[in-house]
Amino acid sequence: MGLCDLMSMAKPNIEVRDKILARIGGKELANCFQCGKCTSGCTALKLLELKPHEIIKLVNLGFVDELPSSDIIWTCVTCLKCVQRCPQKASPYHVIIALRNLAVEREAKVPESYMKAVSQILETGQIDTYQKIVTRNMETVDRERLKLPKICQPKESFQIVFMKTMEEKTV
Amino acid sequence: MKMAVFWGCCILTSQYAYEMSIRQVLPHFDIELVDLSEAICCGDPIKSVNNFSAGYLAARALSLASSTGLGDLLVPCNRCHFTLSETKKTIQDNTTTGQKMLGLLGEEGLKYDANIKMWHIIDLLHDYVGLKRIEQAVTKPLKGLKVATHAGCQIIRYTDVGRVDDAENPTKLDELIKALGAEVVEYPEKLDCCGAALLRSHADTALSLAGSKLKAVQNLQADGMVVSCPECQLMFDAKQKDAGTTVGAKLHVPVVYYTQLLGLAMGIDEKKLGLDLNQSPVDQLQAKICA
Amino acid sequence: MTKIGVYVCHCGINIAGVVDVQKVAEYAKTLPDVVVSKHYMYMCSEPGQRMIQEDIRNKELDRVVIATCSPRMHEETFRRAVAEAGLNPYLTEIVNLREQVSWAHTHEPEKATEKAKALVRMGIARSRLLEPLEKHRVSVEKSILVVGGGIAGIQTSLDLANAGFPVYLVEKTPSIGGRMAQLDKTFPTLDCSACILTPKMVDVVKHPNITTLTNAEVTDVKGFVGNYEVTILKKPRYVDEKKCVGCGICAQVCPVKVPDEFNENLTQKRAISIYSTHAVPNVAIINSNYCLRLKHGKGVCGKCQEACEAKAVEFEERPETIHAKVGGIVLAVGSEVFNASQMGELGYGRFKNVISNIEFERISDASGPTGGKILSPKNGETPKTIAFIQCVGSRDKRFHEYCCRVGCMVTLKQAILAREKIRENVKIYICYIDMRAFGKGYDEFYTRARDMDIDFVAGLPSEIHESSDGSLYFDVYDKGTNKLLQIRADLVVLGTGLVPNKDLADISALIHASRSADGFLLEAHPKLRPLETAAAGIFLAGACQGPKDIPDTVAQASGAAAKALDLLSRGEIELEPLKATVEEDLCSGCKICASICPFLAIEMTTDVIDGKERTKAGVIEAMCQGCGLCGSACPTGAIKIQQYTSTQVITQVDAAFAERCVKGGK
Repeated sequence: MGLCDLMSMAKPNIEVRDKILARIGGKELANCFQCGKCTSGCTALKLLELKPHEIIKLVNLGFVDELPSSDIIWTCVTCLKCVQRCPQKASPYHVIIALRNLAVEREAKVPESYMKAVSQILETGQIDTYQKIVTRNMETVDRERLKLPKICQPKESFQIVFMKTMEEKTV
Repeated sequence: MKMAVFWGCCILTSQYAYEMSIRQVLPHFDIELVDLSEAICCGDPIKSVNNFSAGYLAARALSLASSTGLGDLLVPCNRCHFTLSETKKTIQDNTTTGQKMLGLLGEEGLKYDANIKMWHIIDLLHDYVGLKRIEQAVTKPLKGLKVATHAGCQIIRYTDVGRVDDAENPTKLDELIKALGAEVVEYPEKLDCCGAALLRSHADTALSLAGSKLKAVQNLQADGMVVSCPECQLMFDAKQKDAGTTVGAKLHVPVVYYTQLLGLAMGIDEKKLGLDLNQSPVDQLQAKICA
Repeated sequence: MTKIGVYVCHCGINIAGVVDVQKVAEYAKTLPDVVVSKHYMYMCSEPGQRMIQEDIRNKELDRVVIATCSPRMHEETFRRAVAEAGLNPYLTEIVNLREQVSWAHTHEPEKATEKAKALVRMGIARSRLLEPLEKHRVSVEKSILVVGGGIAGIQTSLDLANAGFPVYLVEKTPSIGGRMAQLDKTFPTLDCSACILTPKMVDVVKHPNITTLTNAEVTDVKGFVGNYEVTILKKPRYVDEKKCVGCGICAQVCPVKVPDEFNENLTQKRAISIYSTHAVPNVAIINSNYCLRLKHGKGVCGKCQEACEAKAVEFEERPETIHAKVGGIVLAVGSEVFNASQMGELGYGRFKNVISNIEFERISDASGPTGGKILSPKNGETPKTIAFIQCVGSRDKRFHEYCCRVGCMVTLKQAILAREKIRENVKIYICYIDMRAFGKGYDEFYTRARDMDIDFVAGLPSEIHESSDGSLYFDVYDKGTNKLLQIRADLVVLGTGLVPNKDLADISALIHASRSADGFLLEAHPKLRPLETAAAGIFLAGACQGPKDIPDTVAQASGAAAKALDLLSRGEIELEPLKATVEEDLCSGCKICASICPFLAIEMTTDVIDGKERTKAGVIEAMCQGCGLCGSACPTGAIKIQQYTSTQVITQVDAAFAERCVKGGK
């Protein structure tokens, strides 16, 4: 009974779809009527072939299992044009973020840089360490040299609570 | 007035010129900045890993701001400003997510004050300080200078969470530049994205996006490009050479922060504004100003 | 001794599916004064009604309690049945066991049955206190006011006038004709709009039964159905309608240029001019905001007066106030077009060659600013590529959620006209979400467009940009080919939707006509009563009730006329007697009731009795709606609301608590 994708033999996964819907809460994903505006203006379309309207349709029909393991969900530039202009407030950007979170939970391929950011935040509270910059006059400077104030790292309690927040799952 | 300031990561760890130029110009308008007690990330880079976690970091940043006891918070980075704005709305709308965040804050003994007002450099200078005061502070009008503006994406979109300017026809940064005596050049690519979000995972695409925009600005024969976000500056300034290589063009577009341009118009020493940290050919911009 | 008959309806399974109707009927029989208690499948059916009637006659019932669906459904039906059996219809009590019991408590049948018993007990208690009442008759003023002189107002007026009734037709612009007069051709027949409209416009002004008032607005409405007192303000034209021959010389000599509203500000006209090419009446009008003479006084300009051979220019003209009594009002005030500058990404207002569909219509019209030639506004040349973009401001949660209903057909028409006028020398693209061609001949019209080498792109663009030469370009993803296309056009036409008029809020307040969530005027029932408002005597016609095309407008307009005829033809109407009444002996003349009555239905009269002045309240029955505000506010209890007296209501409350049959909640 129901629906089946004849190319991949995939069936809709309504449970996961509904969990995604609950996660992004308030964004009217189900109201998308495929006007295509998001894709027409998508910054990542020309170079990376991201089609937000297609992603929304796949999620709406329940074909959510193929998306977290795809590369395409990592191509969004987060320019927010699709959120701004969607006439139904379906917000593809928020759906893509939810799919990325699902990819992490399922331990699918996640670009390195994101996981690195997490461990760096855990360690120092920020995603980068303080850099030395070479000026146009070939001088090397840092915060101290530029007399910029030092701001403390977060206290220990931060690490504990931060780890707790990472346990919040989509599914 | 006294206001708290949340710098985020990028400004504190590498985009020093933005911090320097902001710290230089704001006192002239009687604005005193108070740093937060801790330096943490706003959460934006980890949204893709765990959106709740990211929102929590933003809530934490807002709590740290509340604990300064000040009612205003300056957030100069576009992305930090967006992330904090979205989280502010999540908590304001009294969602279960928001409630969870408040509970976790409580575990560190942190309180959250909903009444804190958020500012970005654009609206702080345009709406709070006002164009008149900016004009009055100018001692070296930038006559004859033609610049292109790049407000960025996350500071004008999306309107529903409350942004600092109109999403389709942003004019505040343009007016701030005109207040310095300079001219603004309109161009169709004005609202295009710098690509910063993809720099770490899809470098070629990111550089291609930045390069295309720089190419367009170069074709306008503008004297420079003005930005208001450290991520955008990273792409257009620090990565200009790489961007040029990616799109097959020789790029020589001076790219500066608005506060650096403002500082120059106010007669502040270029070193104090961090202009030697800019990687793009700002010397040619400065030469035009001094001519 | 009161004899009460109780009838419990199954309503099929609507009530009986949840409530044990037999138990309720049996329970009712145990209550005092109940001489017969029955239950039946469908009480509203013929056998059901006959059952009640027979019992009234045979058992000499003097009260009837029917436990059934909402009184809003069948109260009238049962009252009529009771009256036919010889009992006063207002001695009937309806107890709602459907909306208030079976539908509200579908999953708790036992508790629902107990509640049903309680409600029946309450109904019986009240029925003992009901009093016989008589309907009153009011005469109906046999004339109609039609507000709005577009095709809707024109059609309604003609229908009513032809039926022999006088009509006041009030139009706020200087000419009747409305939006239809602005159109070039109409879909799906491509009739010339002016050709089919102007004969009707002339019929209107020539009709002996129609008083056409242009450049006029309704400023006040008082009264009630059948007896409305309306005030119409006729603003001065500064030109004598009887003398002006419409020659147009005045406009030729006038030095002042003003925006041309009829041509959607695509061009300018003079401070004195005739409103439009086919204006009816064909009389000039002076725009007092711009006219030098009217602004600066005697001695200034006056060239038009000098040039006018008919001596029709009257700078001294004053506004005229007209009072009229009418039996009913038809609202036909039309709609506006969405202002696309709200949708910044499309560049309307910033780029000259991005225009709205109504602007295209004026360009295409032979009597318009370009003489009917399709020209790009920026350089005045024939476009080589025209792109149409659908759903601008419609189907959009940021602006208007509804579909504008006409956008697709308008664009198809305009694309076909462009093809016919420019022939093969233009490329035409329509960017759409869905093509809605639902009416008679509409899909055939869509086929015709596709046959004319008009290309359809299944997708909308996100943003439009302008090149240095004023032409436009945009990217659009076509779902058919899965390609990202870039379209370069020298004319972009936006399918801007129909939206409620800006002044609809004022009109709705003036005439007590409500508005629906989409901002248009609210009909009494979306399916069964689309031609009238909830207020008796106020009817709706045309786009003011919701966006629609000409065929639907004309149909609705004739329908509204039929509804109005229903009201006017009998010369009188019956009013429900459920009104407030004042017991004069208890009235202290405090005027609290008069101050809070929302229907202005209470008048205070002062008489001299025994040498003393006494002020008393009196109810104007025809205006009273029986809302009960006065009754609850009256400090002395002098005001009684028929069938809703305090005693009746309190008796019901007592009856509710008479038995504790259900365990209370937490």
